[in-house]
Amino acid sequence: MSKDTKSLTEEVNAITLEILGNRLLSVAEEMGATLIKTAYSTNIKERRDCSTAVFDRLGQMIAQAEHIPMHLGSLLGAVESLLRKYPAVTIQSGDIFMTNDPYSGGGTHLPDITLVSPVFKNQTLVGFVASLAHHADVGGKVPGSTSGDNTSIFQEGIRIPMVKIANRGNVIQDAIDFIMLNSRTPKEREGDLAAQIAANRVGVKRLLEVVSKYGIEKYFLATDALLGYAERLMRAGILKLPDGVYTFEDFMDDDGINIGIPIPIRVSITIREDTALVDFTGSNPQVAGPINIPLNGTLATVFYCFKVLVGPEIPSNQGIYNVLCVFAPEECILNCKSPAAVGERIDTCQRVADVIFGAMAEAAPERVIAASNSSVTTATFSGLKPASGDFYVYLETIAGGQGAHSSGDGLSGVQVHMTNTSNLPIEALELEYPLLVRQYKLRQDSGGAGKYRGGLGIQREIEALVSGTTFSSLADRQKIAPWGLKGGGEGMPGQYILVRKNGQTCRLGSKESGVLLDVGDMVSIQTPGAGGYGDPLEREPERVLTDIVEGKVSSQMARVRYGVVINNVNEIDPQATINLRDELSKESAAKYNNK
Amino acid sequence: MPSHMKYMIGVDVGGTFTDFTLANAATGEVFNYKERSTPSDPSRAILTGIVEMLSLKQIDYKDIGYLVHGTTVATNTLIERKGASTALLITEGFKDIVEIGNQTRPSLYNLHQEKPLPLVPSHLRVEVPERIYQDGSVRQSIDLEILRERLHALPIKDVESIAICFLFSFVNPAHEKAASDLVRDIFPQAYISISHEVVAEFREYPRLSTTILNAYLGPVMRSYLENFQTAVKNIGIIVDPYITQSNGGTLSIQETVKSPVRTAVSGPSAGVIAAARFGELTGYNNLITFDMGGTSADISLVENGSPLVSVERKIVGWPARLPMLDIITIGAGGGSIARIDMGGALKVGPESAGAIPGPACYQSGGTKPTVTDANVLLQRINPQKILGGKMHINQAVAQDSIRKHISELSGLSILDAANGIIDVVNANMVRAIRVVSVERGYDPKDFTLMAFGGAGPLHAVALAKEIGIPRVLVPPSAGTLCSLGLLLTDIRSDHVYSRVISPSPAIVPDVKGIFEELEKEGTTILDKEQVGLGDRSFLRWIDARYKLQNYELMIPVQTDEFTEDGLTKIEKRFHSAHELTYGYARPNAEIEFVNFRLTAIGTLPKARIAQRPTRREAEISEPLRPVDNRKVYFKEIQGFVDCNIYQRSDIYSLDAILGPAIIEQMDATTVIPPGVACRADLYGNLIIEL
Repeated sequence: MSKDTKSLTEEVNAITLEILGNRLLSVAEEMGATLIKTAYSTNIKERRDCSTAVFDRLGQMIAQAEHIPMHLGSLLGAVESLLRKYPAVTIQSGDIFMTNDPYSGGGTHLPDITLVSPVFKNQTLVGFVASLAHHADVGGKVPGSTSGDNTSIFQEGIRIPMVKIANRGNVIQDAIDFIMLNSRTPKEREGDLAAQIAANRVGVKRLLEVVSKYGIEKYFLATDALLGYAERLMRAGILKLPDGVYTFEDFMDDDGINIGIPIPIRVSITIREDTALVDFTGSNPQVAGPINIPLNGTLATVFYCFKVLVGPEIPSNQGIYNVLCVFAPEECILNCKSPAAVGERIDTCQRVADVIFGAMAEAAPERVIAASNSSVTTATFSGLKPASGDFYVYLETIAGGQGAHSSGDGLSGVQVHMTNTSNLPIEALELEYPLLVRQYKLRQDSGGAGKYRGGLGIQREIEALVSGTTFSSLADRQKIAPWGLKGGGEGMPGQYILVRKNGQTCRLGSKESGVLLDVGDMVSIQTPGAGGYGDPLEREPERVLTDIVEGKVSSQMARVRYGVVINNVNEIDPQATINLRDELSKESAAKYNNK
Repeated sequence: MPSHMKYMIGVDVGGTFTDFTLANAATGEVFNYKERSTPSDPSRAILTGIVEMLSLKQIDYKDIGYLVHGTTVATNTLIERKGASTALLITEGFKDIVEIGNQTRPSLYNLHQEKPLPLVPSHLRVEVPERIYQDGSVRQSIDLEILRERLHALPIKDVESIAICFLFSFVNPAHEKAASDLVRDIFPQAYISISHEVVAEFREYPRLSTTILNAYLGPVMRSYLENFQTAVKNIGIIVDPYITQSNGGTLSIQETVKSPVRTAVSGPSAGVIAAARFGELTGYNNLITFDMGGTSADISLVENGSPLVSVERKIVGWPARLPMLDIITIGAGGGSIARIDMGGALKVGPESAGAIPGPACYQSGGTKPTVTDANVLLQRINPQKILGGKMHINQAVAQDSIRKHISELSGLSILDAANGIIDVVNANMVRAIRVVSVERGYDPKDFTLMAFGGAGPLHAVALAKEIGIPRVLVPPSAGTLCSLGLLLTDIRSDHVYSRVISPSPAIVPDVKGIFEELEKEGTTILDKEQVGLGDRSFLRWIDARYKLQNYELMIPVQTDEFTEDGLTKIEKRFHSAHELTYGYARPNAEIEFVNFRLTAIGTLPKARIAQRPTRREAEISEPLRPVDNRKVYFKEIQGFVDCNIYQRSDIYSLDAILGPAIIEQMDATTVIPPGVACRADLYGNLIIEL
């Protein structure tokens, strides 16, 4: 325990901290439950692509329900920009504000619409509650609004500045009509916005109950203490990291427009006592394709990484920000300016997480993980359903490997970092769409070699059962591999392979639209593995054998990368293994000396 | 079921104690007994307990007409990973689904957290060349020759059990059947679990996971239950025992052995059944049940006398798709450990000192302060002895522990620290109660909090006040409600058929046919259970959704509704259910039926819950008197106050007590704050109105 806790007063003690934190989290969770329960669209109801949070009177976040880390950015940005546009004195009880705009409303991409409600106790502003939902279509060039070839935010859908959607409790239908007219699925938008309004109203009511339990003055003292609490935990964690400047760089394959031109992401992290400066100077300027991140998205990513690094149990509140100083130059890919396209910003956020862990590998080797698949590999199939003739769009994000760490292998076939959504079951998919899944398996040898092996990517193969099916890809990490740490090897990059019915195959681009499939044609979606950790020659031969038996590693890879020799009855040949490992380690020592 | 039944026995095996309830079928008299559990073979404690209890009460074994056993063997087998060595047969191309699951990672921020190791190791997963389309037609016939080769390549001695799960087997089970025939030939000794038999529902991963769980548990449960059955016979009990299921019902050992996964969360379900029954007797049909023990608290909701049911939950990390009582378990119990964290906040649980090493005040090895230590310090729990004097308490040790681990690190006084521990653990439980009530659209104001388990009645009044529940009910045998609940259940067998169809006049014969088929399945079970025709009933549901949704609502249906008009009624019912549950309906949207469910019920004789006499009826002229008096701390008055201590067994029906008061019984303590009144109803329940 740090000595700072003496700052706790008689009014606000260790018990208040815990119970108030619990109550505020309960407010956010009940908002989330209401939103999911009353939402209209599949994306919110079933994929739970939404988040809720509670803020103090100054707009600082004091509690967030655990949903999708990526959403934190928009939540933080929304209340801040609300107060910039509408000073507190102009806000009234029952007002609700709405925005989705990255450049004026604090958002990170247009499908995420945030609703903010002020909370008043007897005419005193005591805080805010906010809900965010990913709306499946907000207009723009393509259904679903996000497309790999968008080059301007104006192609990505309707931009909503911070506007009032309810005035003193009365919903402003004009504002909702505006949104509905700009969506391909207006009914869904109306239903989902109604769910967000319902969630905010539950939040207002419940937050008032909490405030009443304490009285306004004690509540203010207590929420301040809660921010201090998270700050203390974060500071105590950072204090344990050795002082120093830690740098790292990695690259995005390309932006989908200027194919083949890698895009550097660079970070320099300065740890000094109990603070951290995270500086992205040197990262690429903003790009034409939709992989730019508004600063709030970058902030959310840094926040996520430090929570992982320092303490997964630290409550998600703004107190943490007082410890983290984040800098990204203006008009950089991590702090883009209008009208940069941002639809697929999450791919870049995943890379930002990788570079932060890469940089901190030296300072916190036992906390970081090697590079993960760090792409949100997306497959979109569309066409007509044979029975009804209805047009369908089936979009799925396919998971991959997670980086290995100092005490274990990386997880295989999981969503990493800024997202954590579920897959669509094969039987649900085939009942719904004229498609058939041929294989769904882990990709052999895709995990980077290491004392601890990187997680494996996934191979999901989908066949078109009718002609006129269209496929679009959207991914990264298909050229530049996920790196390993401390001598660990690279994970295998991802790829999309088109297999024609006649057996012809070709590789598709990572951001390619409108590939036409005939009956029996198939797309093999292969997601990246992840980097390994530590020297593969130090992996216990028995674990390599297990990987071979499980099909995770081929005997060829076992020999070449792990120096493990397997005889023809699938047993380790101990002497041959010792000899081979000896030889391989001499080879690598020689290579090292030549450098 | 013998008609001359005189006595019924319910046995509930817990981690520390095995609880027995013996009921006299004629008088309703109930006797409770406890025996220390024998985890290596739980049936040892059961048999010892039965023998001791019957000799104590001088009851003839032949007079036992009913014996039911609630078992945690399945759950423990999973926790300890001591199940059978299990192989899996799965559609070619999909063996890794076992590992991939639904693609999510287990923890958002703790990236070192592992996924649980699959129950079937990779080398025992056999891919089978076969494929069925979503409509049940065959794309690729099963290649039995290749399957035979692959089966022969398995290490035979390693295969005790085999799970079979193919894509779309719930539409067309032919390939699973063919494979199981071959498997029986080659592995005649192995336990076989086939997905379309275990859970014929769509969505491959939950079906696969349930089938594997079943296979993994099968051999262990078979040998445990068959031994138990023989042992029971050997001591002279004539009747075959029943086993409690996670759906709150019971089944015979023969049926349980076929689908042991159905017992995996049966532990807390009997308590909920008993709670519902007490509620019914007392006229409180809407209950939030709160069962708090040493390490955890189980919370559930009973609406109109029926416990809420969920059809999917995780068991020790693995999804299981079966109808189960919807019970939330959180790590809050008497043994939950308190600490001050790095940031200076007071945390309680989920780490628990359990029974061993136990709370500091037990002096059985534990040194860290727990919820029990706080209750002892505040003298809410008897500061000298509990369990009717069997367990000694050292209050000074509790005080030292709280001082050292909480006060010295936070500046809180010892009293504030002890109160804080209770407030924090209560806040955790309030959150769970809100989840089962408010988040599901129920208003706590309409409910009664039924508190049981050793620690439930200690905390119940504070929880009810915090959340706005107007009334607390503490049943007579608060510590052994589960074993009593075992004597209040029925035979329940769940059957499901999965087929996605849109309601239209054309499907009327299909729906009829499906339910007839399900009823046949259910009837077969009831026949096997020898349920008399007059004791049979069936409940039916259709899981329905709006087209394109991926979640369903269970809509109750009646047999006379399998007509054109009837389907319209069912659709209307679905719209209203959707409105109620999700806040809106889409009357013009297309509906899909997804699963057809039937529960076959065989009504069993139940323990009569006897009324507790009033003082007048018992011809006792003395009024209720406290047995003791001690100072107890109450938050309401911020201090210790002289408090009457009553013995639960001294309380007769219609007795009233005005708080501050403590009511002690063998296995539980009820706290009544100042100014709060408590009365005993005709069944001896304590009713505390707030």
